[in-house]
Amino acid sequence: MVARIAKMLAVAVIAGLGIALSGAPASAQAEFGSPELIAAAKAEGKLVYYTANFAEIEQLVIKEFNKRFPEIKVEMVRAPGGQLITRVRTEAAAGKLIADIVDHSDRALMLPLVDLFQDYAPPNAADYNPEALISPKLWPRATIAWAIGYNSELVKNPPKSWMDLTKPEYDKMIGQVFAQSGGTTWTRIMFERQVLGEDYWAKQAATHPVLYPSGAPMADALVRGEIAIGPLLYNVIYQKQRDGAPIKIFFPPEGSPVNPYASGIPKTAAHPNAAKLFLNWCLSKEGQTFMIKELGNLTSLKVPPAYPEGFDPKVVKVWYPNFDQYVKLHGPWVAEWDKTFGYRQ
Amino acid sequence: MNGQASRRIEVTRSGAEDTRRRAFAGLWVALLLAILTFLVVYPVLTLLLGALTDTNPVVDGFSLRHLSITNFLTVLANPNVAEALFNTLVACGGGTAIAVAIGLLFSWIVVRTNTPFKGFIAAASILPLFAPPLVAGVAWSILGSPRTGLINTLFKWAGLDWHVDFYSLWGLVFVFGIYYAPYVYMFTSSALRNMDPSLEEAAEISGASAFATLFSVTFPLIMPAIVSGMLLSFIVMLGIYGIPAVLGAPINLAVLTTYIFKLTNWSPPLYNTAAAVAIILMMVTGGLVFLQQKVLSGRSYTTVAGKAFRPRNLDLGPWRWLTFGLGVVYLLVVVILPSLALIVAAFRKFMFIRDAASLFDMPQYSLMHFYSIFDNPLTLNSIYNAVEVGIITAVVGGALAFAIGYTIHRTRVPGRRSIDLISTLPVAIPGLVIGVAYLWAWIGIPGGLYGTIWILALAFIARFMPDTVKALSTSFLQIHRELEEAAWVCGKGMLGTIATIVLPLARPGVIASMTLLFVLAIRELGSSLFLYTSNTMVMSVLLLDYYEGGNIGKTAAFSLVQTVLLGVLIGGANWLARSSAQGSIAQRIR
Repeated sequence: MVARIAKMLAVAVIAGLGIALSGAPASAQAEFGSPELIAAAKAEGKLVYYTANFAEIEQLVIKEFNKRFPEIKVEMVRAPGGQLITRVRTEAAAGKLIADIVDHSDRALMLPLVDLFQDYAPPNAADYNPEALISPKLWPRATIAWAIGYNSELVKNPPKSWMDLTKPEYDKMIGQVFAQSGGTTWTRIMFERQVLGEDYWAKQAATHPVLYPSGAPMADALVRGEIAIGPLLYNVIYQKQRDGAPIKIFFPPEGSPVNPYASGIPKTAAHPNAAKLFLNWCLSKEGQTFMIKELGNLTSLKVPPAYPEGFDPKVVKVWYPNFDQYVKLHGPWVAEWDKTFGYRQ
Repeated sequence: MNGQASRRIEVTRSGAEDTRRRAFAGLWVALLLAILTFLVVYPVLTLLLGALTDTNPVVDGFSLRHLSITNFLTVLANPNVAEALFNTLVACGGGTAIAVAIGLLFSWIVVRTNTPFKGFIAAASILPLFAPPLVAGVAWSILGSPRTGLINTLFKWAGLDWHVDFYSLWGLVFVFGIYYAPYVYMFTSSALRNMDPSLEEAAEISGASAFATLFSVTFPLIMPAIVSGMLLSFIVMLGIYGIPAVLGAPINLAVLTTYIFKLTNWSPPLYNTAAAVAIILMMVTGGLVFLQQKVLSGRSYTTVAGKAFRPRNLDLGPWRWLTFGLGVVYLLVVVILPSLALIVAAFRKFMFIRDAASLFDMPQYSLMHFYSIFDNPLTLNSIYNAVEVGIITAVVGGALAFAIGYTIHRTRVPGRRSIDLISTLPVAIPGLVIGVAYLWAWIGIPGGLYGTIWILALAFIARFMPDTVKALSTSFLQIHRELEEAAWVCGKGMLGTIATIVLPLARPGVIASMTLLFVLAIRELGSSLFLYTSNTMVMSVLLLDYYEGGNIGKTAAFSLVQTVLLGVLIGGANWLARSSAQGSIAQRIR
């Protein structure tokens, strides 16, 4: 009798386990969309992804997505922000917009194009910080944050805060990306003036920083020792630090300006279901956790599932720009910045 | 009576033939003009429209409503544009002077002297052409940075109190000069090779020294090649972005191309202003081309006539070791140093080099950048696409350039001057801006050109047409008319004459131009940026991605792959061409 009960129990447990096991992928996939969406996406089999982010970083994202959905091929077109917008506008006007997703770092450039995009919201839309959204059609697929990096072989007395970057002892050692380069840098420039003080730019400019057109070549210059210190996007320098480059990076205590991307699906998308599934995955807890842990991003989820290495939420406050000011102040402030830093247009 | 009738019939027949010939010439010119309109005039007009308005012609329609010269005025009133123009002229002028001096010297050493190992010098001296300008910039910044440059590190190690700084206008002049010396070399060496040495012999018999002969006979005779090479290298330098971008950025030194790139890359991008700057650049170039025609017109430069000759080598005696030494120094500076810099960068995990000893710290080296680039599925794709585009461009562009060059230089058909002018137009439009113009102009064409490899190939054919036509022109100018006349007398038609006389004689030039076109197409970045789509990505775009992604290691690794690939392809093609060409020219002349 006992033996029979034990046998029945065993069968029940095994059956239960079996149900649980076979149900696991289904419920995990449900996080990314309905079974119909997933089936339709797989039937489409591919999507074309336009992004202003660095190709290599996005390759990692695509690779991770393909671990979940190996049936969907993601074809990427990567271009710097200004050029990407020109391409999207021109293609759209000619009726030849190939993109199934447009992913851009400058929300102010995306907003005027919002009519090109279809209604889209991820399943976990309610979990997102409304501050990061400029339109219900455009989502903060990636949220990247500023930090300060330095070459540990060259800097013996490293800076500890944003204000330290104004110290005369770092004269001619600092690098900076110039203001006009795009949305992420503009966010930092705004932060510096609004949070660190009206005279921060002038004090920083007094250390004669080397000006770079974009963050990635500057990160490389930091590794090589062309410059010794500089504000950099955490995700640009994080990989190098992990690979063992002689650099250290930290989030300054005064705050970390963050720039949420704007990503949406054009109305003309030829592979709308695959596009939705890809964005759903990127915006899901799983996708965001991957980008935080492996790429060094932050997230615009209200409750972050993780933090990048070295980010202590008790110490560092993230700083979102006010979007109205982000649009309105851009022209005059960038002109002033150029003047302060002697950057010639 | 009978005689009169037959004469009349002859006249009528020749009249009919004349009409037919004229109609054919008319059709031919119309065809070329139609092709040129599509490839050049239409995109340039869209560009001009862009420069004169503040709209995107595709988005806002081709309208003339907002026409104004505001963009031009803004550009002209901006002192920074004037400064960028000044920097450009100094960098390109200085660079051209160096390129001509070096290129000419080496074509003479290689073609006309008995310098030892000259074949090797010749082969190696072309190598810098394979490296994209961006890579050359990166290599020289690794070598010549005032702070971390390997040259300075080595000086310090050797205890020398010397210091180089390539982040300067003079650094730019130097790198431009040595980087484009092979360009001049390619032009002048094929001219020297095709030159009948009897004139030089005559000079020497008359008592002129070798040196005097060189300057009073040889160089003046190949003047078209020298002027073309000079002009082209100047113009190509005008349009180069990569080198000044890398070397000028750290000291905020702008030239027109980096200025234009900034305009298109700013947020928001200012394409219309960029178009206005580009039009100014076009005017500078137009002036230069006009100057070249003024200098060359009305003189005879035919050096290839209907007489067999044996190219001769000047016996330099013990001096040949001096020319050999010069060759070695040249190779060291132009090829070996930058290649070493790239090799170090490609194999080293990180480019932080504290001192000379750390340069030899072997645990710092690995294959990780190569693994990483070949792990990326785009890498193989981009190589395949680039080679495909390169071949289409070289073949179609080479044939078109031959047709244009022949029409301009060997016929008297009306309209050939317009053909000359139009085919020279694209020369100085920076790739980035013409890329937008092509996008604006061609995206709307029905039939789905956009998104295919052909839109890239067409853009490259149009963009490099001036380079190819000019490269071919030198060959045409050298062939004496008497050779063609001889073929006509023997009853050959025009096409027969081209096939049996012109093509074989101009063969070195044709092969050189097609090779040049292939290399340029593979390297071209600016216009590809707007025209590639997800499945037509080419190597240059991926290379920029690696660079912009802050990966000097991967950039260097990928450019080594590209250089080796180009070297193998071009070496192979040249070898094939040479083995099949040998004898055949001599045979035909005989």
